[in-house]
Amino acid sequence: MRVGRFLVLALLPACGAAPPEHVTPSQGMPLQPVAVVAIDTAPKEDLRMVPPEVYMRTYLQLFGALAPLDAQKAARGKDGAQLFDNWDAYVSALGFPDYRTDIPRQTQTNALMVATFERLGVALCDRAVEHDLKAKPLLPVSERAVFAFDPAPGAVSGDVATFAPRFDVLHRTFLGYPAALAPPARTPRFLALYRDTAAGHKTADPKSRFTPEEAGWAAVCYGLVRHPEFHLY
Amino acid sequence: MHSLRRTRARIAVLAGLFAAALAVRPASSAGSPPAARSLEDYRHFRVASIDLVGRTPTRDELAAFERADFDWAHWVDAALTGPAYVERLTRIYMDALRLEPNLNFTANPAQLFRVQITGPDGKPVNVLYRAGQRRTREATDGEFCLAPDETGLIVRPNAAPIGTPRKTQQNVINAHTVAVKPWWLYRDYKSPHPEQRYQQGWANPDPAFRPVDALLQDPDGKPTMEVRICREEAQEPALGHLYASGRTAKPASPSPVSPPPSGHALPGGRIKPAPVDAAYITQHKGDVVACDTKEGELGAVDCGCGIGLERCMPNSGVGDTPAFQFPNHMPLGPGAPLDSANQSAYRWYPYWWSREAVHFLDYLFDQDRDFREVLTSHTTFVNGPLAQFYRSIQKGSCCGPESAFGMRVETEPLFDPSRVPADLAPQDVEKWVEIPDRGSHSAGLLTMPMYLEKYASARARGAAIYNDFLCKSFNAGQAELTPSEEPDLMKRPGCQVCHATLEPLAAYFTRIEPASFVYLPEALFPVKATTCKKDKAGKLSGPCNALYDVGFFDATGPTLRSGYASPAHANAGAVGAGEDITKMPEFATCAVQRVTSSFLGRAITSDDASLLASLTTEFVQSGYRMRALVRAVAQSDAYRRANNVKEN
Repeated sequence: MRVGRFLVLALLPACGAAPPEHVTPSQGMPLQPVAVVAIDTAPKEDLRMVPPEVYMRTYLQLFGALAPLDAQKAARGKDGAQLFDNWDAYVSALGFPDYRTDIPRQTQTNALMVATFERLGVALCDRAVEHDLKAKPLLPVSERAVFAFDPAPGAVSGDVATFAPRFDVLHRTFLGYPAALAPPARTPRFLALYRDTAAGHKTADPKSRFTPEEAGWAAVCYGLVRHPEFHLY
Repeated sequence: MHSLRRTRARIAVLAGLFAAALAVRPASSAGSPPAARSLEDYRHFRVASIDLVGRTPTRDELAAFERADFDWAHWVDAALTGPAYVERLTRIYMDALRLEPNLNFTANPAQLFRVQITGPDGKPVNVLYRAGQRRTREATDGEFCLAPDETGLIVRPNAAPIGTPRKTQQNVINAHTVAVKPWWLYRDYKSPHPEQRYQQGWANPDPAFRPVDALLQDPDGKPTMEVRICREEAQEPALGHLYASGRTAKPASPSPVSPPPSGHALPGGRIKPAPVDAAYITQHKGDVVACDTKEGELGAVDCGCGIGLERCMPNSGVGDTPAFQFPNHMPLGPGAPLDSANQSAYRWYPYWWSREAVHFLDYLFDQDRDFREVLTSHTTFVNGPLAQFYRSIQKGSCCGPESAFGMRVETEPLFDPSRVPADLAPQDVEKWVEIPDRGSHSAGLLTMPMYLEKYASARARGAAIYNDFLCKSFNAGQAELTPSEEPDLMKRPGCQVCHATLEPLAAYFTRIEPASFVYLPEALFPVKATTCKKDKAGKLSGPCNALYDVGFFDATGPTLRSGYASPAHANAGAVGAGEDITKMPEFATCAVQRVTSSFLGRAITSDDASLLASLTTEFVQSGYRMRALVRAVAQSDAYRRANNVKEN
């Protein structure tokens, strides 16, 4: 009881103190521009995926303008390399729509699709090496679908002067523009890939069907055929 | 008639030749010096090649592009005349409409099934028959032509026979079956003595016409030279007569458990009683009927499959068994299949329905037709299988409940069979012929079997128009669905948000039966049926209930199903839908939006309003020509800047 009396006495001064504070709204000062920046309202979109029909038609063109089943036969070969299964195994992974079951076309890549690009690319490059670089007698350059250049035998160590024009042919074939317009590091990086692969191949399986130079060019081909610029536009 | 200049089958082949044409430069420009091209120039050229040539540019095409005299506008114009452009445009609409079948279509009652019986020497013999075929012999009327007592088998059309096969005497086989040289084996099946057997005398069949091995070989592995078929099915005349057996009361079926008492067994060992005569049959016994109608196929003993069995569809067994080979996947067109597989007989016609729709779209874009024709044209294209389908098979879909209204055979089909060229044989799979006018009720894609089966209900058909040709979608938002017995979905709380729009659209398809292509003419099927009355329970009779909706019953009677929202739309039909929809301003803007979005590779935003407006003007002023639209898109700055994200 005594505690309550003290509490009331303690609070009395507070109740009788200054009236409550009123905050009156006031007109704010307009913000002053610091700088004028134009806003770009143009729609921005990232690169899109090459439609699977275009991918397949390009692939077939690089395979020598073959029909799909003929390309499948050529890619599978008779050497037991197991480079290629069949188109039916790849058709959904490539992003084709299935109108029968209302599955829309895929417009973005995914892991399975990239893996499929890789497998198809390896099959293409290996068969192209056999067709363009190993045929006996060698085909005229104008008839080669992918490696339309003299491979410069013996150039395993590879210098830029020898490598660059040949790489440019492949760069144009797969990516559609001269290598000189690509980021500056591109040619040196592919040259390094070529050198490392060729050098490694010298000491690798001696029964390999590819010479070190052929293995080097095949590796460059793999790099380009699975390059994002090949699958996007 | 003329054959379409390019078919999908040739597109893949032509693409290569066309590419060479694109790379060719004028003689005067030979040796033209290279021009400086930026990375953006190269990217733009590659994008345009992908969009208009259908693949990335070759080295030769790049070399042509690099020459100083490269003419961008000329290149675009050349590309717009190529097959890849046609394929590209068709792909846009196929992506939206998805006009491929995920369905089986049985050609009943024209479907043949194949049964293996045992011959007198103990060797297997294949015999074809039709389910439901009327026969004068009570033991087999409506069933397989050899009775269970003769073969040991109880034959069922959709399942394997049951029983223990026994040797059937040769005289019995000869009495009830006959050997025929059918259309799927003989190119010259109409000849009195066919000799051009598939891959023998008929040396060069269409590569896409490939009967399965089971139809080409006898049970002993030898090439099939003739097929054995029940005698009734082998008859050739075009006309027959309604058959009345004289049986009007159905006897009781024997118990499946205990043997029937002596004297009560069904004749021939059959397990189901023979069909009895309906009242109509009794009254019209002997009336002439067309043998390619359901009435003739199921109501006459003297109606068969015609010369070379051309009015019937083969099957290598009973039920869902293969008949022909065709691809499962052909994303680059039928000329570039990815596989070839044995396919069910039931998939044969749906496969060709889809090709008809693609062929029609290809035609619109290849010939640069007024795009409004996609919903209004009477034109279509048929090949051999489609000719066979429209000539006779489609008639088997009619009539059931319609008979009660006086339509025993379809009187106003969407595709008039008389418009089918007489010289197209069922094996002519790669020969496509233009049909300038397939019938007065036809309306572009809207009345093709593929559209009508893919979008099986009136609402689905209306919604597809709304989505794909007006670029609108139904979104109920936060609509609250409260319990209601209101039959009018345009009024029912919650439902009305979408159905106020959807029901009038669906009404356009009132006269085309669901999951079918049977047309209900106004003369026989008024929107309000005065002849349909409610019973004491407030229900309609079977045929009335099948076609009319008791939920919309007023003083004049019930309403034709799907037609309540707009009797005017119901009577205007799909033709009216095509006319009305293409007059709407949204039709043009939707087409422009769909194509522009596809070429820009992104969704259209409000920032594109001025571009869309100018493109729509171009499109409409050109007479709704897609080539003008795509040319304008390809020449636009927006297309050049379409993928304008720069690498850091």
